[in-house]
Amino acid sequence: MAHIPNEILQAMVDHAMDDLPNEACGMILIGRSDRQMTVHRVTNTAASPYRYEMSPLEMMKLEQKRDSENLDLFAIYHSHVASAAYPSPTDVRMAFFPPGETDNEPMFPETYYVLVSLENNKPDVRAFHIKKYGEISEESIESEN
Amino acid sequence: MAVTVNVTSVIEKLVGGQRSFESLGDSVKSLIENINETYPGFSDQILEEDGELRRFVNIYLNDEDIRYLDGLNTELTDDDTVSILPALAGGE
Ligand SMILES: [Zn+2]
Repeated sequence: MAHIPNEILQAMVDHAMDDLPNEACGMILIGRSDRQMTVHRVTNTAASPYRYEMSPLEMMKLEQKRDSENLDLFAIYHSHVASAAYPSPTDVRMAFFPPGETDNEPMFPETYYVLVSLENNKPDVRAFHIKKYGEISEESIESEN
Repeated sequence: MAVTVNVTSVIEKLVGGQRSFESLGDSVKSLIENINETYPGFSDQILEEDGELRRFVNIYLNDEDIRYLDGLNTELTDDDTVSILPALAGGE
């Protein structure tokens, strides 16, 4: 089960809306001791409704921030503007290094992949782990205030 | 030329688990060769068989993507920072 406060869910939906018509992407960091979450928007350098590519330099800066402020990478999120909140085959492929090498450990085994779908009037947010061999396991989101 | 190399996540595992280290090289290409001397197998993960940079690996000289500079032939000078970062991407 993924515990995610309502305001964090809302911040990801807001980001997805702001970046329409393109996919939005970002990261949720969490304090190792206080468990406080923060949403960090990352530029989608692909600037496309069908793809995202997180700006590598922004990612690196967030990784340095994680080290210096004692944070963990809780979730990687992105939006689907016209499809369900479920990892696509490309999403699964790209969770491995090199892409598609699903016999390797995934790049972020502990991190939730959060999908925000804007396909219907009401945005849908779901969380997953992407595991070795490309297995997708959904983790139900428990939202709290 | 002595440069600082920054890496993240999976690429960190290819260089003994460090995020930042010093290495040598007159160009990005020779830097990769030098890193590969210390960490055999490194360049196989970073370069295609034909020696080109893999599409899902990004290399920055200071804050510039080397694809917009001189690619792997980009020259390095002392105290440069080179960042070697995997793509984090996906699709619909
Ligand atoms: Zn996707």
